[in-house]
Amino acid sequence: MLPISVIVDNISKSYKYGIFTKNEDLILSDVSLEIIKGKTVGLVGPSGVGKTTLAKIIIGLERPTKGGILVNNSNIWNMPKDERLKTLRTIQMVFQDSQGSLNPKKTIEQSLYETAKLIGIQKTDRKSFILEHLEKVGLSSDIFCRYPHQISGGQNQRVALARILLVDPEYILLDEPTSALDIAVQAQILALLKNLQKEMKFGYLLISHNTPLIKHMSDNIVALKEGSVVFKGPPKKYCQITTME
Amino acid sequence: MGSILEIRELSIVFSTVIGNVYAVNKSSFNLNNNETLALVGETGCGKSVIANSIMRLLPQNAKVSGKIMYKGQDILKMSEKEIEKIRQQEISIVFQNPSMSLNPLQKIGDQISEPLLIHKKMNKKDAFNKSIDLLRTMGFQNPSKTAKMYPHQLSGGMNQRVLLAISMTLNPSIIIADEPTKGLDNILITDMIEEFKTLKRANESSLLIITHDLSVARELSDRIAIMYSGDILEISETESFFNNPLHPYSKILLDSLPERGFNPPKGTSPSMVNIPKGCKFHPRCPYVKKECTEKVPSITSHNGRQVRCYLFL
Amino acid sequence: MTHHIEELKKFTINKINLSLIGIFIFSVFLFVAISADIISPYGPWERFEPYSSPSSDHLLGTNDMGNDILSELFHGTRVSLIVGFGASIIATAIGILIGLSSGYYRGLVDEILMAITDISLMIPRIPLIIILAALLRPSFVIIMLLIGLLWWPNIARVVRSLTLQIRDSPFILSSKSLGFRDRHIIFSDIIPNIIYIIIPKFMLTIASAMISEASISFLGLGDPTMKSWGMMLNFAFMKGALINEMWWWYLPPGLCIVGVVFSLMIIGFALEEKDNTEEVDE
Repeated sequence: MLPISVIVDNISKSYKYGIFTKNEDLILSDVSLEIIKGKTVGLVGPSGVGKTTLAKIIIGLERPTKGGILVNNSNIWNMPKDERLKTLRTIQMVFQDSQGSLNPKKTIEQSLYETAKLIGIQKTDRKSFILEHLEKVGLSSDIFCRYPHQISGGQNQRVALARILLVDPEYILLDEPTSALDIAVQAQILALLKNLQKEMKFGYLLISHNTPLIKHMSDNIVALKEGSVVFKGPPKKYCQITTME
Repeated sequence: MGSILEIRELSIVFSTVIGNVYAVNKSSFNLNNNETLALVGETGCGKSVIANSIMRLLPQNAKVSGKIMYKGQDILKMSEKEIEKIRQQEISIVFQNPSMSLNPLQKIGDQISEPLLIHKKMNKKDAFNKSIDLLRTMGFQNPSKTAKMYPHQLSGGMNQRVLLAISMTLNPSIIIADEPTKGLDNILITDMIEEFKTLKRANESSLLIITHDLSVARELSDRIAIMYSGDILEISETESFFNNPLHPYSKILLDSLPERGFNPPKGTSPSMVNIPKGCKFHPRCPYVKKECTEKVPSITSHNGRQVRCYLFL
Repeated sequence: MTHHIEELKKFTINKINLSLIGIFIFSVFLFVAISADIISPYGPWERFEPYSSPSSDHLLGTNDMGNDILSELFHGTRVSLIVGFGASIIATAIGILIGLSSGYYRGLVDEILMAITDISLMIPRIPLIIILAALLRPSFVIIMLLIGLLWWPNIARVVRSLTLQIRDSPFILSSKSLGFRDRHIIFSDIIPNIIYIIIPKFMLTIASAMISEASISFLGLGDPTMKSWGMMLNFAFMKGALINEMWWWYLPPGLCIVGVVFSLMIIGFALEEKDNTEEVDE
């Protein structure tokens, strides 16, 4: 049986800029890692090292210059467009900026309803479908008619998570999911993420520069520096990049 | 050790369209000479409101009662002119975003010497030299070169140091730092902590740090005050606080720290418009008693520390 | 910082009160434009004794042809407003289309569209309109089209930069990875978040288009069959209203142009500022 995973296979990414001068910026070079269902990979590295670019490549928003993203062993960029979009829907992402993950001009209800509509849930079933998922992240319908700026950062992050759960993903990328939150709320969100993983067997890629947090959450750690992988292994063996210099 | 700032029974109420919001309730604390006090609490607990009330920077819909005594004078009773003078020369405040607080079109040295030219009536050359001295105390290797640079030529951390240098120019008695580490990544936070340590060494000002980050408070402060939903729940020496937190809220707060395993507390902080009766923390408190639900406990001394809880009455 | 915000708020509150004045003035003009047929004492082409001074029969006197100036003015409001609105709708529509496509799709599309925009920005607009209006048969529809087709680049640039700002914000990325189509993202995520800046720009473009129409008509390149305020001024000057000190002839259309433009500017700036403070508040 094929392993159920997302494999990042020797990805490089560079940006060309300028019409007359062919300059090139290398953001990532030969990065490989594997996100396995039910497990968490921690991705660490200083800011500006290309962590977010890598995440964008994994969710299919950017195309790698070299290398491929293999979902359950087939390269997404070799698939026909429809199949690629369907496959990519199994990989979702939670962003750092908790207020910015939801459209500020839409109520929580609108944001969730349009997603339920998108995946073809019948009009009559939508409400119960959404409530069921809100419950999973510890929220109730009280917040339905609020706007993102009217609820707390922790609640925003929970709604963003619920919205992703609606499309039934298998892998979730977490880009600094708690760094804008108070510590008590951070602990709650982390516990929620762990519970969801236990229950639904999500594969997580957790991006953070917070070493204790990464060590606490991950089964495996990948450290990036200047676009390349400098460490790969279990949390116990990982000591901060700064001490490796 | 005398105190430079005494806050007595400070209450701040905002009248808004959704009703009165009680941001701060009868809070009292002292800031002693040459000490660093950290005011710690979660988003929306009222800690920044206290900072702004000391500078009298609150919007018009805020009703403030109580006393803020600075060197024996009540800041809340001062005239606009007097408070202007305090803001410029006696108490300075450092905001969170360094790139937004500096003028991108002015050289670093000019920005530091500007207050000296205006308030100390120094001549241009002396002021510039003084600003070079200040940059040196903030740890710049080549301050005379830095003084001739523009903010965009420096990194974020360096700009933060420049801001701290500016806050020290007039030798204020108090420096207030409002969320100095918010939105920064860990490496920058470590840098920032170092910068504040340098500032503490170089300067005799008292420092009031407003933060939601317990690790910053632990590194920098001599004493710590914990705020929850507008109430100060505990004030104690930083070291004894981390060794033995008294208030149940302090305990859950410390338990959610990374080094203690991210233990998630139950429940959430109340929103500002829907505050529970009695002790604000009682719905989440494991030791809740009947009296907790009825009346807010008063803050009492316990082994030289102050705590607001029926467990210690 | 907080006290800056506070000052800004006070300032804005005054601005909003001021904008009520703007809205009031503008609605008066709008009312006149809509009900011109009813409230005008006479038809705009009806002939009486020419060159008469203001009297109870003709509140603003008559012109060289014997037309009642007040009735002309009322009907002119309609023409001027239609040209202003029409041109601005065309300009805003083109501007949004080009700005959104270029900001959202970036890459080659962006480079080409922005090159076109930059070139269009360099065109001296009034001289070009004068030449084109002189070449083509002068008609107010053509003038409206010309203004609309030349006034979009500013709006396109604003829309593009706003789109660029929010296209990478988490909620857009999250919508994309959930699998929403580009059309849904553009109409339901992007436009609602930038419309508050487009509306004031739309208002200011109306004002600018009306001034241009008046200038062109004043130069005698307007539509002679339609009486706009610019045409009235043109006739007044040609027939010597100024030398003969017939202020009731040339002053009212001039004041009307100033009045409408002024009210639109106030509304536009107030909306712009309102939006800015909202951002600060968050």
